[in-house]
Amino acid sequence: MSILSIQGLTKRYGRITAVDGLSLEVEQGMSFGILGPNGSGKTTALGAVLGIVHPDAGQYQWFGGRYGQDHRRHIGALLETPNFYPYLNAVENLEIVAHIRRAQSPKIGELLEMVNLHHRRKSPFRTYSLGMKQRLAIAAAMVGGPEVLIFDEPTNGLDPQGIAEVRQTLKDIAGMGKTIIMASHILDEVEKACSHVAIIKNGKLLATGTVGAIISDDVVVETGAENLAALREAFSAFPPVRRAEEQNGRLLLYLSEEVPPSTINRLAFEKGVVLSHLRVVKKSLESEFLAITSREI
Amino acid sequence: MLYLLKLEWKKLNKLAAFRIFIAFYLALLPTILLLGKRIPELPPPLMTNEVLFIFPTVWEWLAYVGSWLCFFFFGFLSIISITTEYSYRTMRQNIITGLSRKQYFLGKLYVILGVSVLATAYYALCALLIGYFNTPAIYWHKVVQNASCIPRYLLMCFGYMSFGALLGFWVKRTGIALFLYLSYVMFLEAILRWGVHLQLWKHHSMHFYPMNAIEDLTPLPFTQMADEFISNYGFSLFLSPAEAVIATLVYSVLFLLLAFRLVKRADL
Repeated sequence: MSILSIQGLTKRYGRITAVDGLSLEVEQGMSFGILGPNGSGKTTALGAVLGIVHPDAGQYQWFGGRYGQDHRRHIGALLETPNFYPYLNAVENLEIVAHIRRAQSPKIGELLEMVNLHHRRKSPFRTYSLGMKQRLAIAAAMVGGPEVLIFDEPTNGLDPQGIAEVRQTLKDIAGMGKTIIMASHILDEVEKACSHVAIIKNGKLLATGTVGAIISDDVVVETGAENLAALREAFSAFPPVRRAEEQNGRLLLYLSEEVPPSTINRLAFEKGVVLSHLRVVKKSLESEFLAITSREI
Repeated sequence: MLYLLKLEWKKLNKLAAFRIFIAFYLALLPTILLLGKRIPELPPPLMTNEVLFIFPTVWEWLAYVGSWLCFFFFGFLSIISITTEYSYRTMRQNIITGLSRKQYFLGKLYVILGVSVLATAYYALCALLIGYFNTPAIYWHKVVQNASCIPRYLLMCFGYMSFGALLGFWVKRTGIALFLYLSYVMFLEAILRWGVHLQLWKHHSMHFYPMNAIEDLTPLPFTQMADEFISNYGFSLFLSPAEAVIATLVYSVLFLLLAFRLVKRADL
């Protein structure tokens, strides 16, 4: 079932196009990562589908139109910074969220336990550390048990312990079977937490699919020799090699299956090329990300 | 409506400015008028301070005192309750959480209406009590003679708060909005008037500026002096009550429609 469908979303700020014809599909149960460098339009795109930014063009639809204009009550979202009334405490702030969502039994105590804030529930929000604020925002997103959760840079600005806590909380939430949409510029975060990913840059969608499909299963072997042309020639007829590409004086071999380094070494030697360099690299999302985002658009 | 009012109450009742402004209003409205007891003699044409406390003039005098308090406290409250939601970014969060922009705006409108109604009820109560304890002989027709002050008081409070709301939604920053509000009411309108007409007092039409219209809903009750002004200059110092009511209603609706347009169109 479709949770969120975006078609051709565009938002301009003066001469800058923050989001440029973005189209995405998020299905129920996905952990959908939106990955892109800072300023790539992630937050603007999420702001548009959450009704706080007016898009210049394009459409979006939540839940296949099931809730009409009232869809936001079924979405829990943490966009950029946690925003609460500083003079109210955690419980009072969550009560406001529950009231807006018309949540019948908001279970505020349980949520505060979950994000480890129960002991500070009576302190005003302004006395909280950044990590505590972020955790309260996660609790707020969960009030009323929304079907979809949106987290925008959930670990931004946190110290390592805070990051670990927030990631654990996100993992727990994903374990509950909710649909999660997470925007981040941190690859590791998306790679670990998400099943699907969309990579955007300058507001444009560069790639989308399952994390497995975006991170190709190719094994990459980095080789080097004095004569790279001869080396390339040596592997041209070697079936596991799908693609060979020269980079920084090295030859990268993309193999469809794992081949022992000794086999590669022997093969090169038999063809009269002596390897000066041989390294097996597992291609990560990071290099894919850098490769995709560094392409000219 | 109740849903939105309850929501606004949850936000406001712990806001320090809200509590302070309400407390000041409740305390100052009767106190300032009763301070008049300290003045044994007044300059002509009033002569005695008695008119401040007896029916029917107590309505006008207390309304005049109240107009200053509403201008300060409730105008400020209207601005602060809106601008703080920009600075805390809670307006944006409210909408993300599920309110529509229209609901958000209506919540603020209901607060303005609610505060105006309660402030007016308190004004009526104070006027009745002060009048009751100070009028030697109470005749019902004297008590209600100037009771038309009550709806005008309501409109006065609503007018100031609507203007505050427009400035709040437009300027978004508490300090600047408060400064603009104060300076517009105190002197910018007079400058504007002078800029248009090149004179402060010239013609009756000059009274139809928004803040002047609101002020004339509950003017300083110097009726005799005003009459003198008419005979000397050929036009009144104040708008007639009916003119002031219509002008204020038109301006308030205009302010609120403009504010709603801002809420509808803004990227948050």
